[in-house]
Amino acid sequence: MKFFIMVALAVCAVARTSAQTAEPPPAATTPASSAEVQALREEVRSLKELVQTLQQQVKDQQPATEKSVTVNQPVLPENPETQTAATASSPAPSASAPPLFPTTDTAVVSSSAPSVNANGTTTFPTSDETVTASSEPATSTADNSSSLTQPIPIIGGGNNKNYMNISFDSVFALAASSERHLDRLEVGDHDPQQRGFNARNAEIALDGAVDPYFEGFANIVLKLDNPNQTEIELEEAFLQTTTLPFGLQVKGGQFFDAFGRINATHPHTWEFADSPLVNGRLLGPDGLRGVGAQISWTLPTPWYAQLIFAVQNGRGGTGYSFRNPGEDGVFFNRMTIDRDASALHDMVYVPRFETSFNPSDTQTVLLGASGAFGMNDTGSDKHTQIYGADLLYKWKSSHAEGGFPFVKWQTEAMYRRFEAGRGLDDSFPVDETFKDWGAYSQLLWGFKKGWVVGLRGDYLHMQESAFTEDETRQSRSRISANLTWYPTEFSKIRLQYNHDFLEENEFLASGNADSVFLQFEFILGAHGAHKF
Amino acid sequence: MKKILLILSAIIGFTVTGQAKIKVVATLPDLGSLAREVGGDKVDISVLAKPTEDSHFVDARPSFVVQLRDADILIDGGAELEIGWLPPLLQNARNPKIDVGKPGRVEASQGVRLMNVPTAASRAAGDVHALGNPHFVVDPIIAKTVAQHIAQAFSAVDSSNAAAYDANYKKFEAAINAKLQEWGAAMLPFKGQSVVAYHDSWPYFAHRFGLNIDTFLEPKPGIPPSPSHLAEVIEKMKAQKIKAIIIEPFHDRKIAEKVASSTGAKVVDFAQYPGGLPNTDTYVKLIDALVARLSAALK
Repeated sequence: MKFFIMVALAVCAVARTSAQTAEPPPAATTPASSAEVQALREEVRSLKELVQTLQQQVKDQQPATEKSVTVNQPVLPENPETQTAATASSPAPSASAPPLFPTTDTAVVSSSAPSVNANGTTTFPTSDETVTASSEPATSTADNSSSLTQPIPIIGGGNNKNYMNISFDSVFALAASSERHLDRLEVGDHDPQQRGFNARNAEIALDGAVDPYFEGFANIVLKLDNPNQTEIELEEAFLQTTTLPFGLQVKGGQFFDAFGRINATHPHTWEFADSPLVNGRLLGPDGLRGVGAQISWTLPTPWYAQLIFAVQNGRGGTGYSFRNPGEDGVFFNRMTIDRDASALHDMVYVPRFETSFNPSDTQTVLLGASGAFGMNDTGSDKHTQIYGADLLYKWKSSHAEGGFPFVKWQTEAMYRRFEAGRGLDDSFPVDETFKDWGAYSQLLWGFKKGWVVGLRGDYLHMQESAFTEDETRQSRSRISANLTWYPTEFSKIRLQYNHDFLEENEFLASGNADSVFLQFEFILGAHGAHKF
Repeated sequence: MKKILLILSAIIGFTVTGQAKIKVVATLPDLGSLAREVGGDKVDISVLAKPTEDSHFVDARPSFVVQLRDADILIDGGAELEIGWLPPLLQNARNPKIDVGKPGRVEASQGVRLMNVPTAASRAAGDVHALGNPHFVVDPIIAKTVAQHIAQAFSAVDSSNAAAYDANYKKFEAAINAKLQEWGAAMLPFKGQSVVAYHDSWPYFAHRFGLNIDTFLEPKPGIPPSPSHLAEVIEKMKAQKIKAIIIEPFHDRKIAEKVASSTGAKVVDFAQYPGGLPNTDTYVKLIDALVARLSAALK
């Protein structure tokens, strides 16, 4: 019995000296040394307790006394102060008892988060120094040069140290087609325009917080025309509020209208190498965008619903069906009246409502209705109205890796009523009203991480003009199939096949046309994440 | 009439204040489960990412916009794990209460020293996070700190329940401290052993329990396993007699099984998030399961 007490005392003595030798380095300052005195006092107290416990045990004559050193442990969580002392002494008895597993670790949890620390370190100052110092080489060396909460700044990398995200993305396409005039077959300005190689969208995208009140975005697009001359366009440049109440947001500048699904997105996010017929012909080859302002309101409903309303000049090629003088002053074969806005009704008004619900945890549905209303340039009082409806359904596996597998079905339909006047000086023989409509529907199946197969059907009905033929007023349809490989989210390679159903006409060399596109893309830098 | 109005307004006032549970949105299920420990029945918690999906690539579903719009508190990782989907959601949610720097925003990585911070950013290295590895909550010691941040945020936003949050946090902290002894003891026999992982999500877990998880089936983070890389991994596993390959619910199990069958190792189903494995609806149960599964495989 006495032997055990002797052992215990010896152990304690060793522990005490080891604790003392361990203590000094961090305790160089005076408050620390007073804490040390306190710790020692506590230690003595705990040793006394230990001795008493041991004595009790000896009295009880329990046979398995070797293990009794572990009585330390239940005591520990009760009193943080004794815990310090006891665990400080744990390295010594470790031969007979398992050492306590550390419950704090200054190597992973920094001590500079102010209030955390006040609690954190005083409550749990266990034997972290010995444990973490030995087992922590990697992180501690990595942290040498940096402050505790701030990660190491990275030059040319992580956007946390820049005032804006800067990215560059470039889309190229190698095209083969049975149609010689690919630029007449394809309806979008960023679509492949010639047989051979095409570089129709190299885009510099910038975004970031302007100040506490605004965010700013800019997309500057460079493209090469068929003779390889560089064209530049300010595709988007706008600021947007961040602090308005009641779910309101205002944006102003040059921007894509929120009309349907595809119009507001940039070509590199498209799931096909070219734009749908209905978008190119009704909203225009450049999409519907312009200088203006937009207000949107997230309704205070328990499901997602948003109202968006934009006003823009609607002038020129990017206001295609509106105040667009057309190429060489001709639109739908009429000499156009290029005029300034004289009243509010000369602007384009673009309302949209969209709502979303989740049929299940893995499925999402988004429905939208859009409109675009304004005047056109074929007469002095000629109106254009475009209506659109869109549907997006997406299923994504609950065990998705990298966002795969998924199934996505997207459909848009549009109707345009275009009052075509008699043009400049009533030079065209008749007034007509064109009622045009069209739709596309596309199905994407991401069957494996990085791999997507897609199928798209396009239909466009253009009302025939009584007097003229126009390249842009052909009724037509198309089917497309493609396979896309995304090595990462920063690159892609896409092979697409298009079959165009066309009536014989004077604008294209062939009737039906077959085309194959090999598209490739890369993104550099910090590119803003995309909306759903 | 006036009386009725008074009574009515009193009732409305009472019900409004009585039901004023704070609304908490957590981007990731682990953060959500810590919030649940701290918040108890005083808060409404919704979680955006599913525990079984790859949290790097979550769809920015419009319904999330509504959850974020209504949130009093947002808890996110803060280490760019959610950079692919959270920013557009926040842009659309228009909720100044959860802006960075507001009491309603908890960035879990604050006060945590992230591991594996790259010295140079290059995407040639794969999907490397510029701020460091963001999968840190699987370290129970870090989880305590995150829970403490959450408790502070809850108290700041909902001071009437501050005592409850503090008590819940203390309880959680004590539970983790006690559990750490258990987990530490269970993992102690395997200290220094090497384990293969599909993706580099486990440096914090490895560090906590003295494991060596630095071989991955992915040749680079986010890049799918290639045959040549797998051949190297197999060779290394044979040479080092590595006994376990840990995979997450969304990883391709067939690849891991193939490697396992040619090395004699076991495939161990792991998950970073509570709910990612059966019967792991709380953080403690998750770490219990991880420790039990891994120690069984390493035996």
